[in-house]
Amino acid sequence: MNIQTQSKPQATLDDVLTDKSEYKYGFTTDVDSDIFRKGLDEDVIRALSEKKNEPKFMLDFRLKAYKKWLTMKSPTWPHVHYPPIDFQGISYYAAPKPKKKLESLDEVDPEILRTFDKLGIPLDEQKRLSNVAVDAVFDSVSVATTHKKKLMEHGIIFCSISEAVHEYPELVEEYLGSVVPIGDNFYAALNSAVFTDGSFVYIPPDTISPMELSTYFRINTEETGQFERTLIICAENSYVSYLEGCTAPQFDTNQLHAAVVELVTLDNAEIKYSTVQNWYAGDRETGKGGIYNFVTKRGKCLGKKSKISWTQVETGSAITWKYPSCILQGDQSVGEFYSVALTNGLMQADTGTKMIHIGKDTKSSIISKGISADKSSNAYRGLVKVNKGASNARNYSQCDSMLVGDQCSAHTFPYIESANSSANLEHEASTSKISEDQLFYFQSRGISRENAISAVINGFCKEVFKQLPMEFAVEAEKLLTLKLEDSVG
Amino acid sequence: MAGALTDEVKSAEGGFLQLHKDYLDANSLSNDLLEFNKAGIERFESLKFPHPKHEMFTFVNTREIASTEFALNPGGTCSADVVKNHVYACSEQSCLVLVDGVYQPELSDLSALAGKVELADFEKAFSDEKLKQSLVESLKKETDVFSALNAAFAKQGVFLKVLPKAQINKPIQVLLVSTGAEGKPAMSAPRFCVHIGKHAEVKIIVKTVGDGNSYFSNTVQDYFLDENSSVIFSQVQADSKESWNFSKTFVRLNQYSRFKSTHAMAGSKLTRNNYQTHLCEPGAELTMNGVSVLVDKEQVHQYIQVNHHAPNCISHQYFKNIVNDKSRASFDGTVVVDPGAQLTQSDQLINNLMLSDEAHADGKPNLMIYADDVKCAHGNTVGQIDDEQLFYLETRGLSASVAKTLLTTSFARSIIDTVEFPEVVEDLKSLLLSKLERNHA
Repeated sequence: MNIQTQSKPQATLDDVLTDKSEYKYGFTTDVDSDIFRKGLDEDVIRALSEKKNEPKFMLDFRLKAYKKWLTMKSPTWPHVHYPPIDFQGISYYAAPKPKKKLESLDEVDPEILRTFDKLGIPLDEQKRLSNVAVDAVFDSVSVATTHKKKLMEHGIIFCSISEAVHEYPELVEEYLGSVVPIGDNFYAALNSAVFTDGSFVYIPPDTISPMELSTYFRINTEETGQFERTLIICAENSYVSYLEGCTAPQFDTNQLHAAVVELVTLDNAEIKYSTVQNWYAGDRETGKGGIYNFVTKRGKCLGKKSKISWTQVETGSAITWKYPSCILQGDQSVGEFYSVALTNGLMQADTGTKMIHIGKDTKSSIISKGISADKSSNAYRGLVKVNKGASNARNYSQCDSMLVGDQCSAHTFPYIESANSSANLEHEASTSKISEDQLFYFQSRGISRENAISAVINGFCKEVFKQLPMEFAVEAEKLLTLKLEDSVG
Repeated sequence: MAGALTDEVKSAEGGFLQLHKDYLDANSLSNDLLEFNKAGIERFESLKFPHPKHEMFTFVNTREIASTEFALNPGGTCSADVVKNHVYACSEQSCLVLVDGVYQPELSDLSALAGKVELADFEKAFSDEKLKQSLVESLKKETDVFSALNAAFAKQGVFLKVLPKAQINKPIQVLLVSTGAEGKPAMSAPRFCVHIGKHAEVKIIVKTVGDGNSYFSNTVQDYFLDENSSVIFSQVQADSKESWNFSKTFVRLNQYSRFKSTHAMAGSKLTRNNYQTHLCEPGAELTMNGVSVLVDKEQVHQYIQVNHHAPNCISHQYFKNIVNDKSRASFDGTVVVDPGAQLTQSDQLINNLMLSDEAHADGKPNLMIYADDVKCAHGNTVGQIDDEQLFYLETRGLSASVAKTLLTTSFARSIIDTVEFPEVVEDLKSLLLSKLERNHA
């Protein structure tokens, strides 16, 4: 697939050949966006809510969050540096022009379909070839949902959150904000006030989702912050695996992405949430452009023996600030976090997890692999907290960092707090570089240095990759190799 | 609520500022010392009293300090008996006694150190313009507000210089006695500085004891190790249960110097130690071990920074805490490897043994690494007595309580046994291990 020449017809062949690791998905799509004026105040929120034709409880929710947000300050504790964000310089709503309800993919704007094609996820093909339902969020408004019928047969609800607000208001009202309260943090409050769209999943009791659910996010319009909101509820004895993948076009103005993801599992239920994130990280030399990825992801194991498992592969964004967490409230519930975070160029990542043990006999495990290259900074920040009543809590954490080059940095900031004598907590971390001995061995067997590095890196991340669904694992491995091409030499 | 907390912090600041005015009125200080004290209070004002979410005080609740009114320490004395009880036999002729931060020549005995060290009091030390300037300058970079507070009130500490190539076999003991005054708890600001010359080898024991009930002791100790010097160090904390103890220990290591320390803490109402260590030149080696055994409502909070500034340095940290009843222990340690500090080796291990559901054990072992060719690792565990080990001992005929005592004491002994001074080991047995026996009886 010759993406570069498609997206930049003016580029010569030389450009393409010499600049191979430049952002692969750097193109924009020409679609008219319906954009709000820049700035945020109560009127904008009212207009947003009205535009989306929302019931009153949603407007109240938004306004309450906005009032809370006004009293809050942007967090300064993460180990990242960026100029202050002008929240009044952002337009809080952008949508492709509203279309009539679509019956088939043919009615979707061909320009949008072409975009997905470039991303390698042609909807029709996926529909036919893979067993994946795609709720494609294109610049904040869902444009196509496939496999919906099949899911409905199982009683599974998979739709955009704006649809859910109308169709299933009682579920939304009960669970929205129940895991990430509106005032949880600065960016979560902002998201609660202005979120435009996102996914909603409800798995009824005793149901195993027949397919992996997936959403492709894509930021399109310049200077439009994207505020996604995802809510997944998995009822008793059910299971769902959800995939999230991100790519974004190349721009010179920093774009803010402040998403909120909430997961709820009831008794015996399990949610597996996987992410591959590859947003534009800004210019490699100057750091200009690039996405600010300030995301609040949290799951609540509400029921007994329930389980939430987060897997993430973070390879993009200028700044990543993200802590997918688990609140282990139900007895015997399980939380898992598997992460690979790769930073290169001037990227900054401060990511990790929080495991809050509340119920009895709860278990959590954390495997985090950080790779920093060039002049980037990569930090793991995690909290393991055992409350007084959480008897027999068990945690195992492992955070390994790998440094590629002597200009980058790797940090580990684990917080371990125990208030129960029967808790068993273990944390270990190590930092190292790719060993010359390993590379020499590979090379002595005729494997090029580049392939050897790729093999070592992929081996370093293997524990995490094996948690990913097949197609994601393949994509993730390729991404890592692609990203490190210019960093090691 | 946020408003109430801010008010509390403000009133704490105001309290200390007023206390400083009283201090200036009550003492006629030399101009040199006055300059230093003023720099201290200015730094205190700009750093501000820590609010509850201050990153350096994550696990330390300073509310009680904020809401307590302190009195100026009149600079008390203590009886020779107290000194006799706490000076180890090995250091009888090499001991320095400070009571409430004031050096007591008549209680000290330095006869074994003749010709090997030079001792100066504050007045004398501050007449050295260069030294005074470097101290005032370093205050401007001070990050610990309590260390700045110490500088504001320090008046009669000591400077000890170990002469180059000196080999001192007898350990030098620094005994810090705090006396509790009547009425409001008194605040003292003990301060001493040890400069170890090139190729010198010295052993140091610092013991803090309380001769009174309620007091606030806010200590600063500095150790400067010149090229190829070596320090073997032991710290024993045996303060009154009702006391507040804050301390900052600064260690600077030059080329091929070695600092090996063991910090044994018996805890108090609130004990916080801040260790700032800097490995400044290649080949320096730092080893820090620590053990705390806490019961009732005792607290010990360790805040450690190990800064690797130069290549080829080694640092080890190994800390163990046993918490029972409603006690709290925390460890907040950071290893920073600067750009260019290649071939650094650093490890850090914290083990916590929790014996009660009311107790707290918190940890925050951080790594900040800016160089690629390094080996850094850290580990942190929280757990309880292993049932299988307990069962094994019971099958051998030991009662459950004896078995528990055996397991918990051996947990602490692994650190205590690293202390090189037999007298100190014996002291720690009665100070720390007896607490465990009492608990399981």
